Amino acid sequence: MNDAYAVELRDVVKQFGDVIAVNHVSLQIKDGEFFSLLGPSGCGKTTTLRMIAGFEMPTSGAIFIHGEQQGYRPPNKRPVNTVFQNYALFPHMTVAENIAFGMEMRQVPKDEIQRRVDEALAMVRLAGMGNRKPKQLSGGQQQRIALARALVNRPEVLLLDEPLGALDLKLRKAMQIELKALQEEVGITFIYVTHDQEEALTMSDRIAVMNNGVVHQVGDPESIYEHPADRFVADFIGETNFIPVRVVSLSPEIVVALDTGQQVVAGWAEEGLSVGDKAVLSIRPEKMDLLEPKEMPKSPSQQMAYVKGKVTHLVYVGADTRHTVVLGDGSEIVVRLQNSYIGEEPWEIGEETIVTWNAAHARILKE
Amino acid sequence: MTERLRRHPELQAWLILAIPVIFLLIFFMAPLVIVFVYSFLERGKYGGVEWVFTLDNIRRVFDPLYFKTFVRSFYIAIVTTLVTLILGYPLAYFIAKSPPSRRNALVFALMIPFWTNFLIRTYAWLTLLRTHTGLINVTLMNWGIIDKPLPLYGNDFAIILGLVYGWLPVMVLPIYAALERLDESLLEAARDLYASSAKAFRRVTWPLSLPGVVAGSMLVFIPSLGAFVTPAILGGGKSLMIGNIISNQFLGAHDWPFGSALSMVMMIAMLIATLIYFRWTKKSEDVT
Amino acid sequence: MSAPMPPPTTLEHARWERFKSKLGGWSLTTYGILAFAFLYLPIVILVIFSFNDSRSVSKWSGFTWAWYGKMFQDGQIMLSIWNSLFLAIVSTIIATVLGTLAALGLERYRFRGKTAVDSMFYLPVIIPDIAMAIMLLIFFNMSGIGFTPWKVNFFGARLAVPYSVIIGHVAFNTSFVAIVVRARLAQMDRTLEEAASDLYANAWQTFRRVTLPMLMPGIIGGALLAFTLSLDDFVITFFTSGAGFNTLPVRVFGMIKKGVTPKINAVSTLMLVVSLSLVVVSILISMRSGSEDSVTIGM
Repeated sequence: MNDAYAVELRDVVKQFGDVIAVNHVSLQIKDGEFFSLLGPSGCGKTTTLRMIAGFEMPTSGAIFIHGEQQGYRPPNKRPVNTVFQNYALFPHMTVAENIAFGMEMRQVPKDEIQRRVDEALAMVRLAGMGNRKPKQLSGGQQQRIALARALVNRPEVLLLDEPLGALDLKLRKAMQIELKALQEEVGITFIYVTHDQEEALTMSDRIAVMNNGVVHQVGDPESIYEHPADRFVADFIGETNFIPVRVVSLSPEIVVALDTGQQVVAGWAEEGLSVGDKAVLSIRPEKMDLLEPKEMPKSPSQQMAYVKGKVTHLVYVGADTRHTVVLGDGSEIVVRLQNSYIGEEPWEIGEETIVTWNAAHARILKE
Repeated sequence: MTERLRRHPELQAWLILAIPVIFLLIFFMAPLVIVFVYSFLERGKYGGVEWVFTLDNIRRVFDPLYFKTFVRSFYIAIVTTLVTLILGYPLAYFIAKSPPSRRNALVFALMIPFWTNFLIRTYAWLTLLRTHTGLINVTLMNWGIIDKPLPLYGNDFAIILGLVYGWLPVMVLPIYAALERLDESLLEAARDLYASSAKAFRRVTWPLSLPGVVAGSMLVFIPSLGAFVTPAILGGGKSLMIGNIISNQFLGAHDWPFGSALSMVMMIAMLIATLIYFRWTKKSEDVT
Repeated sequence: MSAPMPPPTTLEHARWERFKSKLGGWSLTTYGILAFAFLYLPIVILVIFSFNDSRSVSKWSGFTWAWYGKMFQDGQIMLSIWNSLFLAIVSTIIATVLGTLAALGLERYRFRGKTAVDSMFYLPVIIPDIAMAIMLLIFFNMSGIGFTPWKVNFFGARLAVPYSVIIGHVAFNTSFVAIVVRARLAQMDRTLEEAASDLYANAWQTFRRVTLPMLMPGIIGGALLAFTLSLDDFVITFFTSGAGFNTLPVRVFGMIKKGVTPKINAVSTLMLVVSLSLVVVSILISMRSGSEDSVTIGM
């Protein structure tokens, strides 16, 4: 039992009529992990979560919780609890009655319920609020009650469906930290659905990026950001430049040609590409630098790429400045440079420049 | 068992619906079918029917003697609907423009007469309208404003007035609901885009309140066309509508098949009128 | 294309505009007052003349309670009041149960033939009551149920209420209850039920602890509507009761046909008071069920 995953999805498909909401998804979520399902709205992340909770039944495939297949097991017989997007607090019950509900259904003795409700309220720092009705609480407080109501049942897995979506930005940031701390404290596996990439990156141990019902990549935040597996992930997470290229060689070195004919080296290429294919070179704006034409080294290093261009736009965004550069082939890229160099001449619109980057940061992805 | 129910929500639905559906099938749908069948049977000697197929009843409905009443009923129902709309729209507008704290009170004030028994409300008008002993004529004659009683009773005017009075609240309510939902900033946007207040009304308020107007008109038109109590009391025995003719076939003439045929034709006419009206408002909604 | 620009704003122009909008406001208010007067005056006059010290309902000759005394001494009127109450209570109870079941089934499930079932529940609301009345009349006559009465002792009153009338009332009330309860059900947040099942409640516990309490204002509202409609009904009772059974409206109709007297005004006033109390009860209930929301507005 112990070596089993907290939650495992094997080749799960969910169809609503003709629409395939979840398309052959397989996931392994480890015990005690903070796992996020990240993707744009309609990508199937919420449906995936609802299938784990038991609100929806998979069309095909199997879901295991700690090695046990769930099959048609109804939500009330599953060892998981859900924090709903709109909290779904029962408006006709007090806060304490809400929290006690699950234990009452499981026939926990009355005095134990009382004790655990008090503990749960204290845990979410709302002690003494038990007699209020949910509507008398603020959004942040309601959110914490929803959390307490789920956690008080000591579920094996806690499912959270965009639980912070309704809060304003500042409160959301505070709750992110609180949630993460709480998860580490209770040690329960969290499966967290969100469309907010920053939220997913800051809180998760691992992230599954989904789109159109398909999982595109699973990995820890750093690998998702630094090593996006395909164009969708690169585009969805953070900001990326895509430069159209053609594959020239894949081994021993990965070499691609820009539309101008210039060849550059890249650090990694997506599987399935072959020589001669059209592709894109993906690189993050902060991984590049701008040189003045005269700074162009006489014998350029093999590991660096140098591409000529012209500055067309400048946008000052505080910590850094976004430089839009048009390359020789007409493609536009963005380069972010930190505003930390005292005395350095700022770039001006219309100036000729050389964009440079380390080949290791360039990833060749299918179009 | 429970497992099977869980897997087949359709089974659950039928389990829940079984009793009410069976009840309505027996006590509503079956009677409806029987009326349809009766329309094509011959009348029995002592009430009831002979099980012989005939089209005579349907033919008689279109006999000028009865068809005239059909046309009159339509006329009365249409005029009633129009008058109710003309009176009701500004009232709905008035309530919608009142301060929010007062709106609910006004809606309740509107609904209280409606919750009062229809028969009583019609009777109230009877005491006001009667030719020689009605309050209006008596008072006007006492004051010397008129010297002959006005023809207020026993005619189409009395019936239309009674119907308008009876159904005004159900015209106002849906229009109010539509107007109340209307976002004030839409009007501001129209004014900002150079519309006069009259143009803003015609181009923004009116089209957006149209669903309420449609709903209200249907809620007034249908019961007006099938009215029975109002013409029976305010028609003074002279001015009749289809409802009265139908009832006569059952209470006096004992011609049940003909009564059935009349109500069948009435319901079909109602259905057609409703469809035409929906089609027409749909079109004008697309135009505006 | 050139948009017509507004004329230059001068002080006079601004004053004129303000005057115009004020005038609009005044005429709207005046109209509102007149419209409400139109709605209430006939009823008020009706009540006033129930206290008239003569047989006339158009000439005032002094105040009296006499017509109320006559009303309460009239055995037929009293019997018809008991009939009305009994009929309303029984048909409301049955219709509320049936209508709530129908609402749950129709709002919560998708199944083949739903549109047909759906329309069947709307039909009794749409069909004019005269058509429904004769439909039921023919049906009861033909089916052999006839107008057999339910003989019952109701608070000491010996009643004989035909089953046909009760069934007729249930038939139209079920649909009204179903519509009201469905509206409430449609507004209800379905995740609340999911939350309950997520918190280990089985289907019955979910219904009992979450769905039903949330639905209660709708059910009570539907029941109140059914009760009012049943008390108000004249046409269906009139046609489905056979001879000799009177509810209050049927009795009043008979009295009107014989002639106008302040006694009818007195009966009407009594019915008015009952309707008003029902309205007050429904306001109180809707205020109580809305109280949770009003707290948020207050905050």
